[in-house]
Amino acid sequence: MKLALGLWIMGVVYAVFYMVPPVEGLGDLVRIAFFHIPVAWVSVLAFLLSAGWSLQYLRTRDIRYDLKSSAAASLGLLFCLLATISGAVFAKLTWGAYWNWDPRQTTIFILLLIYGAYLVLRTSILDKEERAKISAVYALLSFLTVPFLVFIIPRFYFSLHPEPVINSAGKLEMDAIVLYVLLAAVGACTALFWQCFSYIVQNKQESA
Amino acid sequence: MPTAKSSLFNGIWAIFIKDGLCEFRTRYAVSALFMFALISLASISMSIGIVSLPVELTAALLWVILFFCAMAGLSRVFVQEQESGTIVALQIYGSGQAVLFGKLLFNVIVLLSLTLLVIPLFIIFLNVDIYRWPIFIVILIMGDIGIAAASTITAAMVAKSQGKNALFTVLTFPILLPQFLGSISATTKILANIEPNASEIVFMAGYNVVLMIASSILFDYLWYD
Repeated sequence: MKLALGLWIMGVVYAVFYMVPPVEGLGDLVRIAFFHIPVAWVSVLAFLLSAGWSLQYLRTRDIRYDLKSSAAASLGLLFCLLATISGAVFAKLTWGAYWNWDPRQTTIFILLLIYGAYLVLRTSILDKEERAKISAVYALLSFLTVPFLVFIIPRFYFSLHPEPVINSAGKLEMDAIVLYVLLAAVGACTALFWQCFSYIVQNKQESA
Repeated sequence: MPTAKSSLFNGIWAIFIKDGLCEFRTRYAVSALFMFALISLASISMSIGIVSLPVELTAALLWVILFFCAMAGLSRVFVQEQESGTIVALQIYGSGQAVLFGKLLFNVIVLLSLTLLVIPLFIIFLNVDIYRWPIFIVILIMGDIGIAAASTITAAMVAKSQGKNALFTVLTFPILLPQFLGSISATTKILANIEPNASEIVFMAGYNVVLMIASSILFDYLWYD
């Protein structure tokens, strides 16, 4: 399983560097996107999973769901940091500044803040049951902001972020090879997340 | 069920009166918050002298001051119950919803009276002109309700943790942020003498309602063991 995942990731890396053609206007910089999009996707996915397991915990009061929720959040913070940094580097190279409070940057920054707040909250409560309960409530409460951040704030402000171009009109113009490599990269990143996640949960369950 | 409904309202009112009475006896929260606001406004005004700030900065300043004042005092509703040990009695006698909305009402009133004191100071110290009072008041009320709604439930969360005050700000800020950005952009328009869009007000009101509904659903999990 791990070997297959390793080969898969190596294959994706090879494809990104040797098979994907440079894109007009962006040149070789487009290769950052094959790292950035999968990590950004995983950081949102981890947030959804964390909120989902929090809900499960509140319904069943089974401490294993709390372990899962916290493991997803800690990994999510890591992926979110990677997405922020790779996005900032891309922004510096194409827009000329690392950070300019583009709506997408605002959104990912808030996601970082939420992850941070959730993990700080966890460290500050000693009692296990209390910690599970309160942090689950916080995960669900912060989940509320997601529709506002994703759908409403970008409507208020102008964005330079290229995602809408790739997702709607630009999809037809994207080469098939680019699309396949991107999908493979997203798959590899998700699988990597899941592998690390199961490892952390298993470790925690053994020590608990 | 008219009886259940009226008992909820009675409960909310009882909690609100109890908190109001405690506050009236000590006058701690309001006076501390007011001094906090006075100091922050005066220090900015002193340092810039008579130069007038750009409207974006002034609007952001107003909401930053209100937010940090709220963070200095609003967690008291639950932290104080926890520290004096009265939270257990409240858990036995008060229903979750009555406690939440009673405390929320109290926080809204505290924040509104604080705003009432801050706005004249703000106008005097920073030398701003406000042309559209009615809509400005609506924005202030919406923003205050939002801050109170976000911070009442986080206050209940931090009451049982360590390092309550620092954590309170950390937890409240991300939840409040969409509303906060809306308040700042609407206030910027007011200060620049532009009528804010109706959609901005609707957004703020909608966010407040969503926050209150979510707090109401989630609070029962926090309140009952």
